[in-house]
Amino acid sequence: MSTPEVTASPLLGQPRARVGGPQITDEDIARSRDRSRVHHARHHSKRWRLLWLLVGPGILAMLGENDGPSMIAYAADGAQYGLGFFVPFIPILFAMAYVCQEMCMRVGAVTHRGYGELVLQRYGRVWGWFGAGDLTLTNLVTLVAEFVAIRVGLAYFHLGAGVAVALGLALVAFTLSGGRYWRWERIVLGLALFNGLFLLAAILVKPHFGAVAGSFDFSPFPGGSFNTLLLLLASTIGATVTPWMIFFQQSASADKGMTPRDVKHGRYDTAAGAVLAAIFGIGALIAGAALLSHGGAGIEGFAGAGFPEALSHVAGGAVGTVFALGLIEAGAVAILTISASTAYAAGECVGVSHSFNSSPRNAGVFYAANAGIALLAAAVILIPGAPLLSIALNANVLATVLLPVSLVFMVMLANDRGLMGEWTNKRSTNAIGIAVIAFVGLCGAAYGIDSFLQAIHLVGS
Amino acid sequence: MSTIQERDLQRQERFEDELIMHLERDQFVAETSRPVPPAELSTRAKAGLWALRIFVVIVSLMVIYTFIDQLH
Repeated sequence: MSTPEVTASPLLGQPRARVGGPQITDEDIARSRDRSRVHHARHHSKRWRLLWLLVGPGILAMLGENDGPSMIAYAADGAQYGLGFFVPFIPILFAMAYVCQEMCMRVGAVTHRGYGELVLQRYGRVWGWFGAGDLTLTNLVTLVAEFVAIRVGLAYFHLGAGVAVALGLALVAFTLSGGRYWRWERIVLGLALFNGLFLLAAILVKPHFGAVAGSFDFSPFPGGSFNTLLLLLASTIGATVTPWMIFFQQSASADKGMTPRDVKHGRYDTAAGAVLAAIFGIGALIAGAALLSHGGAGIEGFAGAGFPEALSHVAGGAVGTVFALGLIEAGAVAILTISASTAYAAGECVGVSHSFNSSPRNAGVFYAANAGIALLAAAVILIPGAPLLSIALNANVLATVLLPVSLVFMVMLANDRGLMGEWTNKRSTNAIGIAVIAFVGLCGAAYGIDSFLQAIHLVGS
Repeated sequence: MSTIQERDLQRQERFEDELIMHLERDQFVAETSRPVPPAELSTRAKAGLWALRIFVVIVSLMVIYTFIDQLH
């Protein structure tokens, strides 16, 4: 017979003996409450209820990546090049994102551990900290861009940077206050659905649906210089797959309490997120394309209220308003998900509690990192004369350049039989995963090298 | 401890036990806090990872240099 362990009863707040079981924490109790609802729904064959309970991390990762800079990038693509090429290209990129994110979800559900801690423990501290360093750098830059997006949206309503900072930080504080993963996830999920505003903006510009359907033949191919094309590719890839999504979805799947039995629903969740994100992204592209016949006006005025204002002049006040609200939503949701990914990585790499189901007292590093990185990014946009436009435009490119290393470790984890058992990648998944890594790596590297050679005047622009 | 308190405690324990049976054993914080054993990477795999890491750092520096150059 095993020795009774003395544990603190989280509900009664006093120690009690538990025979043969593991120690129980507040986090376990909170997670098991969520799991009991999943078990109940599964046991009673309530399929829609089960789906409702298990969706979350996939949709949040995908719609979180439809963030301020991404929607601006899609709209800028539309304004400069029209619908051709990008309308079919965006779904292809989200199909790539699905392959990567499905692996994250599966590894999280099978191992119950986050990406950061698995890389650190399985492949060594150096690789774990490199990954966390990459993530912190790209997240900080991207978060600055999110605050810029909120600022651009608010500027349309004649509100300043101070309101953008207050709104972003208030949302972070509000969502962190519940002490439950479920509460955090549902609030952010509710906000994320307003990403559909970009689809509404697309409908309001009254596009020619025949032209939208006809653009699926990838023509016309974007013109301009080689470097511009590479920038477009790199920033559009960075608008669909990024390091934070990898950290976030694996850790959130583990925090949600997903198990191998939930992998099927995790795939539905990830696929739904990819489809919604592609549709809303195309919405932003179509809305932006309304500016095409006006010489792509408004892009240069991005630092002010350029895009919504330009759309308002060309397609009507309603389109400008909806687009501005969409930018505020996209920035706000991304601030929440990207801050969360930083918090997960910090807690996992330091080796302390890292869950929304833990209290701030028990998971100080997690909560401090979550709020801290948002605060830091907010402080940057308040610096007078800070190059916010350049930061926003380069955020996706930097993410694309740093992505291949994260993806390589993701594929390694998903193929680790010691961790994953029967849930390892199939050959086809590996083939697609490697192709994605090669494509992302080539586009990022080509842009980085070509831009650098131009900057030092070794090649002409 | 009074009989009422004892009964409350027992009821609470039953409630907790019913709750936690919905968690898989390796989902408990006590279990996930234990590190997984390190993997043995071959020399070729290590060399490949370092090559990719160095390449990515160089390209990142190029992007950052270009970004700073564009500011001027």
